Amino acid sequence: MEATAAPNLFADAPRKAGTTGDVVIETRNLSKTYRDFWGRQKVRALKSLDLEVRRGEIFGLLGPNGSGKSTTIKLILGLLFPTTGDALVFGKRASDVAKNELIGYLPEESYLYKFLNAEETLDFYGRLFNMSSAVRKQRVGELIHMMGLDWAKRRQLKEYSKGMTRRIGLAQALINDPDLIVLDEPTTGLDPLGSREMKDLILRLRDQGKTVLMCSHLLADVQDVCDRIAILHQGELKELGRVDSLLKLQNLTQIRAEGLSKECEDELKAVIERHHGKLVSMENPTTTLEELFLNIVADSDKRPGWRSPQNNP
Amino acid sequence: MPIEFEVVPYLQWLPHALLNFGIAVAVLLALGTFFSWLAAAVRLGPSEAFYLIARIMLDALPDIFKTSPRRVWALTRLSVQESIRRRVLVVFLVFVAIMLFAGWYLDTGSDDPARLYISFVLNTTNYLMLLLAFVLSAFSLPTDIKNRTMYTITTKPVRAFEIVLGRYLGFAIVGTALIVGMGAVSYGFVTRGLAHTHQMDGKLAPIPSPFPNQPPLGERGTTTLDKHHRHEFTLNNEGLGRTDMQMGHFHEVTKNGDQIVIGPPQGMLEARVPLAGQLSFLDRAGRSAASGINVGNEWTYRSYIEGDTLQAAIWTFDGVTPEKFPDGLPVEMTIRVFRSYKGDIEQGIGGTLQLINPDPGARVRRSEKIFFTAQEFVVYQRLIPRKVKALDQYNKAIVDAQGNPVEVDIFEDLVSDGRVLLELKCADPAQYFGVAERDVYFHAADNSFAMNFIKGYFDLWLQMMIAIGFGTMFSTFLNGPVAMLASIACLVVGFVAQFIFDLAAGTLEGGGPIESTIRLVTQKNLSVDLELGQTPEAVIRGFDGGLMQAMRAFANLLPNYRWFDTVRYVAYGMDIERSAVMQHATLAAAYCVVVLIVGYFFLKTREIAA
Ligand SMILES: Nc1ncnc2c1ncn2[C@@H]1O[C@H](COP(=O)(O)OP(=O)(O)OP(=O)(O)O)[C@@H](O)[C@H]1O
Ligand SMILES: [Mg+2]
Repeated sequence: MEATAAPNLFADAPRKAGTTGDVVIETRNLSKTYRDFWGRQKVRALKSLDLEVRRGEIFGLLGPNGSGKSTTIKLILGLLFPTTGDALVFGKRASDVAKNELIGYLPEESYLYKFLNAEETLDFYGRLFNMSSAVRKQRVGELIHMMGLDWAKRRQLKEYSKGMTRRIGLAQALINDPDLIVLDEPTTGLDPLGSREMKDLILRLRDQGKTVLMCSHLLADVQDVCDRIAILHQGELKELGRVDSLLKLQNLTQIRAEGLSKECEDELKAVIERHHGKLVSMENPTTTLEELFLNIVADSDKRPGWRSPQNNP
Repeated sequence: MPIEFEVVPYLQWLPHALLNFGIAVAVLLALGTFFSWLAAAVRLGPSEAFYLIARIMLDALPDIFKTSPRRVWALTRLSVQESIRRRVLVVFLVFVAIMLFAGWYLDTGSDDPARLYISFVLNTTNYLMLLLAFVLSAFSLPTDIKNRTMYTITTKPVRAFEIVLGRYLGFAIVGTALIVGMGAVSYGFVTRGLAHTHQMDGKLAPIPSPFPNQPPLGERGTTTLDKHHRHEFTLNNEGLGRTDMQMGHFHEVTKNGDQIVIGPPQGMLEARVPLAGQLSFLDRAGRSAASGINVGNEWTYRSYIEGDTLQAAIWTFDGVTPEKFPDGLPVEMTIRVFRSYKGDIEQGIGGTLQLINPDPGARVRRSEKIFFTAQEFVVYQRLIPRKVKALDQYNKAIVDAQGNPVEVDIFEDLVSDGRVLLELKCADPAQYFGVAERDVYFHAADNSFAMNFIKGYFDLWLQMMIAIGFGTMFSTFLNGPVAMLASIACLVVGFVAQFIFDLAAGTLEGGGPIESTIRLVTQKNLSVDLELGQTPEAVIRGFDGGLMQAMRAFANLLPNYRWFDTVRYVAYGMDIERSAVMQHATLAAAYCVVVLIVGYFFLKTREIAA
């Protein structure tokens, strides 16, 4: 893709259909073993991961520290080479540079050049997408404004606070108006307000038809925004599915209604009793992603290598 | 002396060089592919590895041809900004400071201050720039990888080649700016540092005519002592004249009424264009020989002739025309003297020069002998005038009808078809002259010194560009300090490549690496036998031979920075031939291209996040 790509970079118009249909990211039997200099095994960070991320969804990778989330992302981006298996993005191999035209990536920490200021930074990354200077100028202005950093755009990044750097990192990931946005722990370092904004932004991007792959150990974030999640633990996939169906407890029914009369409630209780059910409560359910997550981790510690069978996508 | 080898014309050199280049690249490619495959096969198995390598190779061409100038420029700018942030400009200040201090301690009474000044500034620039080139280029990519700023770059549609090229160009721009600045400062330093004038010291004295009752021929005088020297000068009756040569220069002197005006130094900053000849020898009996005597303990490049025998060194010069040399033939020589006995060390060794007509049937065969005293390490200059006394085929002086010797015109009577021979002999018995082809030449023209200085700096610039290339290449797969050491190692190996060639050619004693190790360990010196038996010794020698061939091949791949070393040309006031400059530029370009492509492969196959 050369400079001709620039004009449609900002269009919200529907994208041309990808060659692989609706699957944006696909990993097949993806494994990664970190080795030391002498080729000795150090860590098996990822064990045969099969994933599909579909167009237009927000996909969350969830897992405790060191479970292989960042490793997965780096494999998908070609920053790491798989030990076995493949990662395909837009149907292209992860090592293919051309795929990067449509990707925006926010690393775990914002690895930016500290001696550049915000404008220079974004301009620099714009150049790497071969964007013309007019397009760059407009885009840089927009993004800085969007991140609320107008007041600091001429300051070198070394003077930036963590949250500010994070915002510039995100702006950098969006410079090419990507189709696929890969976010490694997007909300770390952001204040509650910033974190809320980040989540709104992610949802907005999804509404624009973009695909988002994010990883986090902050369950609330994931629960708020993700359509589907995969839970990793010690490099293994433990759970995969829609957030709503994962959180729906099969043996628990929650009834919420308004304006029921006492008789109606009694009638409902009678119906439940007749069907040998037991009324737990009539209030909000306490099951959250947090509970699910902790269960899975506990379960997996008991039975390592076993993927919980219940929910499949 | 300064120019040791003949420079082949560029177009004649190019095909040969391209062929060598092609072979080197093919070998490199084959070895590179094989070893990469081997490395990959260990992990993936042979066939997987084959597909992987094939894919990388197939990707490479489109990758390199799809290079986008805008992306490269972005990375170039980044490198420049980063270098400036790393305060490289301090190097320039250091250079200026060195120059300021040097102004004091260089100001000695050297025989040839120009040579001292010029080699000082060029060498200082050279070392500083090479060091800077290594530091800049070797640390940058590894820092990028360590700080993980590389993550945000390689996840953009940037090709590995663009990263390597962008980095390279960035440092090249910084280095070029510095070298241009240093060149300007150096030029000013040399010209200002050497500039001086003298005043008249004492009074003018008339030069009496040798004939009685004739007016004096002119006047003579002495200058004041400035910069550790003074001159004597003569003036003709029109009040024009010049001083004698001191420390490689003279001044023009004019008399203006009562005022004596002494001009700026001349002849100090030169770029002399030589007309070189082809050297052959006569042996002691006067028969033609391939070389003179080897006096041992000397570089074989130089050959010796013995004094007071028929032994002679003869140069054949072509293209000798009166248009080129209207005033006669200005001979310049730097010959080596080898004394078999000490003699009077103060007194030089005498020698003779004679022009010889290459046409054996000509009436005029030789000019009369011209005597001179050899001085070592100094360029001896002597003008053979157009009119000389001459000898016929019987070695009899050519005379007119009255029997008085007549002078002949060298171009009419000694040069035939632009060719003339010059014979050099040593006159003192049992003393020797050492000569090489390039030691004696006719001073054919003078080019601009400033231009020559620029050419000298251009060669430094080429060295810097290669150094940056190597630094960048190593930095694609090694960490900073190691990459820097590796580049410096390449430089050193390049420097000692000559030694390695000699070793590989087996001209050095002591055998190859294995044999010398055994000798070291068993403490056997070079003259004793190894005493291991026939077969083991043959095996060892075979191994050593192979090893040394490999070393030779390796050394051949590295740039010999000495090729580019034209500092001595500039310092000795010899013009650097255009052909040489073009060859250097071509070589440097070839190295940089190869090194950048190798860098591309390394970076492309590197796991950035590992
Ligand atoms: N470069 C590396 N070399 C060796 N081991 C590594 C490397 N990077 C990660 N690991 C190991 O791989 C495992 C997975 O790491 P990864 O960074 O993918 O975890 P993560 O899920 O992103 O954790 P976090 O939530 O803390 O970011 C860990 O055990 C880690 O120690
Ligand atoms: Mg992580």
